[in-house]
Amino acid sequence: MSSQVKKMVLGELTVRDAMRMQVVGIPGDRSIEAGIRLLIKYKINALLVTDLHDSGIGVVSKTDVMGAYYALLPVDSPLEQIMISPPLFCRPDDSLESALHTMRSRKVYRLYVSAGMSGKAIGILAYPDIVGLLYRYCRSCAQSIVNRREQKLTDNASLRFRVKEVMTPSVTSFSETDSLSEIMEGLSVNRFGAVLITGDDGTATGVISKTDLILAFKHGVSAEVPARRILTRSPVRSCDEEDFIEDAIRTMIFSEIHRLFVRRHDSDNLIGVFSLSDAARVRSGSCHACVGSRIKIEETTHC
Amino acid sequence: MTRTFHTLRPDVSIAEAANAFMRAGEEEKRRIFGMMVTDPEGRLVGMMSMYDLLLFIRPKHVHVWGMMEGLDISGLMEEACARAKSILVGDIMTSEVITVSPDTAVMAILDLMIKKHIRRIPVVTDGKIEGVVYISDLFHRLVNMLAPQT
Repeated sequence: MSSQVKKMVLGELTVRDAMRMQVVGIPGDRSIEAGIRLLIKYKINALLVTDLHDSGIGVVSKTDVMGAYYALLPVDSPLEQIMISPPLFCRPDDSLESALHTMRSRKVYRLYVSAGMSGKAIGILAYPDIVGLLYRYCRSCAQSIVNRREQKLTDNASLRFRVKEVMTPSVTSFSETDSLSEIMEGLSVNRFGAVLITGDDGTATGVISKTDLILAFKHGVSAEVPARRILTRSPVRSCDEEDFIEDAIRTMIFSEIHRLFVRRHDSDNLIGVFSLSDAARVRSGSCHACVGSRIKIEETTHC
Repeated sequence: MTRTFHTLRPDVSIAEAANAFMRAGEEEKRRIFGMMVTDPEGRLVGMMSMYDLLLFIRPKHVHVWGMMEGLDISGLMEEACARAKSILVGDIMTSEVITVSPDTAVMAILDLMIKKHIRRIPVVTDGKIEGVVYISDLFHRLVNMLAPQT
């Protein structure tokens, strides 16, 4: 292993190793509609709301925007009306463990990173960033399943985590005729990022995510319309419960999706959901053998 | 100022906008890196640039990709194509567009382009678009004046 990778043992990981440098900020007097445009353009889940001096004064996440839609707030309302204040910060040199402890105890999905006292953010740390870092670490390890496959080594498959061990073992679904309002209630109660949509015969016809809902809000779609009005009918992305989580994470990262539905082994029945949030929540490293790479995270909120 | 220009509507998909970029390039016989977005009355409501489209394509987790050699991007492009059909121009365009009037001085336009890092500025009178000034045209005009006459 290179010395760069050797450093990446849990105890030495800092916020700086995992954080994302891009912070998308927006003044509080801008509209929710302008905020939605930034969330879509930059493919992010939250915006830092700033004051005149560019200091962070609050956070607006996709969940908060969805809440505004549900509450029938006009989409041109100012963001400061729906932001959560104040934003929580950490430092780049803080240990990843202490940052995760803060996220867990304060029940937040992300921390902004600041170097000084000014409230100006230089980066952001969220659960998918941590999964990404540890995926890189696992990828460069000689024990990683991908490397062992490439070297055609016989793998001790019992060492590797499989999706069924870490997935959320239930699927929340709604019918195509249920309203967007009902779906938003379901998403909110269960704190999921997306729900499965089924047709009249019970088969899965698509997925509706928070992203789809905030787009509907922006397009002026009433929350009372049935789900089928905004369904894109792309194939439901799924994996087998026996798949290794390393492979499932790889699929999600390379296909830019946040979650996969999980099929019962060798069948088409959907029995669970595995998301990047689950990957971060339950384990960080993908290998039982690598105790040093694991970060145990307790119950936490989704974004 | 160039008086020939193509525009987009905010309610067309990114996929259609990509087509429009290609067609505009062929018809105007120049490479198009940004297009103005107008409402049905022809008023300027935003701008969609190459940067906006590249952001759309750029993988969210590209910092994880870094170590991978020989990567197959087809999975990523498949997702991008699917999203391109459902996301609209109005969802990712920039709505705060800097404009100038036909009387604005050339040097003032140059200053704006440098300060704001922009490569094209719509020329507008009473909300109606008269044309576009491109930084490349401005450059050629000014550099011509600089070059010694032979």
